[in-house]
Amino acid sequence: MSKHHALDRFGRSGNPVIRSAAFQERVSGNEEKMSLEGAVNKTGILLFLTVMAAAVSWNYQGPLMTLVSSLGMFVAFVSGIMTFGFYFFFVGWLVEPRPHNAPRAAPVYAIGMGFFIGLISQQAESLYPGIVIQAVSLTFFVAASLLLAYKTGVIKPNQNFLLMVFAATMGIFLTYLANLIYFAVTGNNFFVLTDNGIVGIVISLFIIGIAALNLVLDFDIIEQADEQGAPKYMEWFGAMALVATLIWLYIEILRLLMKLRGR
Amino acid sequence: MSYLTIVTGLLGLISAFVFFYFLKFKASTKQTQRKDRIRWSKYIPYKNETPVGDSEKESDDAKFKDN
Repeated sequence: MSKHHALDRFGRSGNPVIRSAAFQERVSGNEEKMSLEGAVNKTGILLFLTVMAAAVSWNYQGPLMTLVSSLGMFVAFVSGIMTFGFYFFFVGWLVEPRPHNAPRAAPVYAIGMGFFIGLISQQAESLYPGIVIQAVSLTFFVAASLLLAYKTGVIKPNQNFLLMVFAATMGIFLTYLANLIYFAVTGNNFFVLTDNGIVGIVISLFIIGIAALNLVLDFDIIEQADEQGAPKYMEWFGAMALVATLIWLYIEILRLLMKLRGR
Repeated sequence: MSYLTIVTGLLGLISAFVFFYFLKFKASTKQTQRKDRIRWSKYIPYKNETPVGDSEKESDDAKFKDN
């Protein structure tokens, strides 16, 4: 017990003290805690918003919708960075993760990406009828299989697993970024990304594998946040992470099916 | 609609149900009681709503010396 009785009794008043660790703990102690059920509900809400936005963009194709979809993707990208942060090799966090932004950013992300995937899905469906149902089904099949593997402890993510998946994901991100720059300059894509030969298909399978392993990390984030009694907004954070990975997985599966059907 | 599309559609419906149903359950103890789990709170600052860098900074609190 210190001799500063007034401080002990009333706490340290004044703004700097409000930021003390003890105060923060008390605040988080009274806060509503997240639950697995809540994270599942939020995942459902976000997927519903994605499907609704995709349905609008599917049904009203045209130059205006192309603009809306591009804008939607940009807004989704910004809300993703605002929540998950942005890490770059050898540099560190360019933008630090802010999970408390998730309740506002997640619906924006879901709707923005919905417009984008509605557009590309409609174009794929007009080329190869039935391909969207197959891609959606395979996405849920992969997600359900990995969920069961995670819940039963068949796949056990550890630090090495995280490093491997993170490095591969960053590698894919950099390849896509380089492809975007190459496309802006030359008007062409990297051959290996669009090729429907063996090389292109193997690369697609590799990317799908990495996207699927990202799902395992999302399951682990949700599970651990629930165990540790994380704040309620972590339900939105976990759901947003899960939906972001599911959308990425869906796009990659759609690309693979298009390559296979185009052979 | 082709036979393949119908079959994959049914597979998708079952998978979606399995996904949302099992997501609600806690993972097995084989998964949760491991020593080599990833410590997510190290990367995601959800404890006190401050970003990763801020939590490592020194506090602004005055330091009172107890005798």
